[in-house]
Amino acid sequence: MIKVPFGPQHPALKEPENFTFEIDGDIVVAVKPRIGYNHRGIEKAFEQRTYIQNLYLAERICGICSDAHTTCYTQAVESLLGVEAPPRARYIRVIVAELERIHSHSLWLGIAAHEIGFDTLFLYYWRDREVVMDLLESISGNRVHYAMNTIGGVRRDISPEKVSMIKKGLDFLEERMKRYIEMMKTDQTVLKRTEGVGVLKRRDAIDLCAVGPTLRASGVKNDVRADDPYAAYDEIPFNVVTHDGGDVLSRILVRCEEILESIEITRYALDHMPKGMTRVRVPMAVPPGETVSRVEAPRGELIHYAKSNGTARPERYKVRSPTLGNIPALCKMLIGCHVADIPIILAGIDPCFACMDRMTFIDLSNGDEWVWTMQELRRRYRND
Amino acid sequence: MDENEVLKELKTRLGDAVIEAEVPRKRRIFVKVKVESFRESARFLVKELGFKHISTITGVDLGDSIELIYHLAYQGSIELSLKVDLPKREPKISTITDLIPGATLYEREVHDLLGVVFEGHPDLSPLLLPEKWPKGIHPLRKEYSLESIRKTLFKG
Repeated sequence: MIKVPFGPQHPALKEPENFTFEIDGDIVVAVKPRIGYNHRGIEKAFEQRTYIQNLYLAERICGICSDAHTTCYTQAVESLLGVEAPPRARYIRVIVAELERIHSHSLWLGIAAHEIGFDTLFLYYWRDREVVMDLLESISGNRVHYAMNTIGGVRRDISPEKVSMIKKGLDFLEERMKRYIEMMKTDQTVLKRTEGVGVLKRRDAIDLCAVGPTLRASGVKNDVRADDPYAAYDEIPFNVVTHDGGDVLSRILVRCEEILESIEITRYALDHMPKGMTRVRVPMAVPPGETVSRVEAPRGELIHYAKSNGTARPERYKVRSPTLGNIPALCKMLIGCHVADIPIILAGIDPCFACMDRMTFIDLSNGDEWVWTMQELRRRYRND
Repeated sequence: MDENEVLKELKTRLGDAVIEAEVPRKRRIFVKVKVESFRESARFLVKELGFKHISTITGVDLGDSIELIYHLAYQGSIELSLKVDLPKREPKISTITDLIPGATLYEREVHDLLGVVFEGHPDLSPLLLPEKWPKGIHPLRKEYSLESIRKTLFKG
């Protein structure tokens, strides 16, 4: 029995995190995760900033699902203020959220293809992902941090010209995705590396509180969009995609089919967007109160808790991103796997460590920006 | 079961243990229970009412006490926030990892950042903070400003 450290720097990890594996021969018998390498102190930082400044902070919790975090944040503040975003804004939130899901899932599919050594497919996925990135850029002006949400609505409208442009992009993506699904189901390279690999049983997925596509790939039909609808999801028909395999292949198929659903949702929202304003003016002062806001981010259930105290800054702000929710399930699916399958199983939950960790020290006190120098870092971590 | 039925069940079953309870909107419940009844309340919610999913645990520094908020979900839909107050001098509470194994990392996170001890938790080693983090500094407590944490870290 030997212990193998995996990360914080490892070619299969796109971000720094550490897993210690106990290995018997080629089989993993125990896993211990150690997270925190990306912890940026965001919850503490929320307490030091005003509600408007926090909008920018929320946007930057994650570089992939930035819109999910601001949707969750603005919903929380709107609920504290007792205001509601106008109907058109709620539809625009859905459109951006679904385009973001398409981009995030395509990004992941590419990474999954790379982890199983299928780099041709990786490049195909990422080439097609550019189509949705361009759509997001044309709507918001940005590829990643769209800055679409604001407290009380959205910052930009979607014009009729944009609507037809988005639809054209969606047609292309749909045709490609249908072809990929056929391919993923039949290609031996994909099947041999993913079928029966990293199995998470339905029972374990529920007990370990897995979320998002990881949960749905184990046959559990839970999706915040359907179960606890927000924005305009209660007015839009869609299916919650599930698969029963519980393996990496199921996780791939869930995400592929979710892209098709997202395309349908976006089309419906574009066709049924009510006319009217895109934001309401909100009062500056946030009354004391507390609220829980939830969103189905591309990786699963995202939850924010906010407590206000009547001042311009929140008393407490809590963020739990989907990746943290999936770590116990990930450890479970890694046990019993081959060492060679570790990368694809790890990638299987679509981990986003930047969202998961939320604190270290970039100082904000006195309004000064302050960063540790390399020397200070060395002193801190070597001698203490 | 909708949110009002859940609330009714809770009040009938737990009686005086419930200090505060409200339904601010559809699918949201906030309930505060006495600390000595916490274990029974959690067990009742998880095992009998079917709040099997834990979304996270929030710890809030209230000054003299630390409030823990367990965000539990019923069939992915109703989000119930179960609150309990712990004295700040010695914040201790029984773990719920035996009821919901998925709570393990959330308890460790609160342990790191607010110094709450979860009795019976299998492993409370640091999760987010570095190994050499000074003992007894819980950064999310209100008495620690970023300035004071920085001073402590650099005194050597």
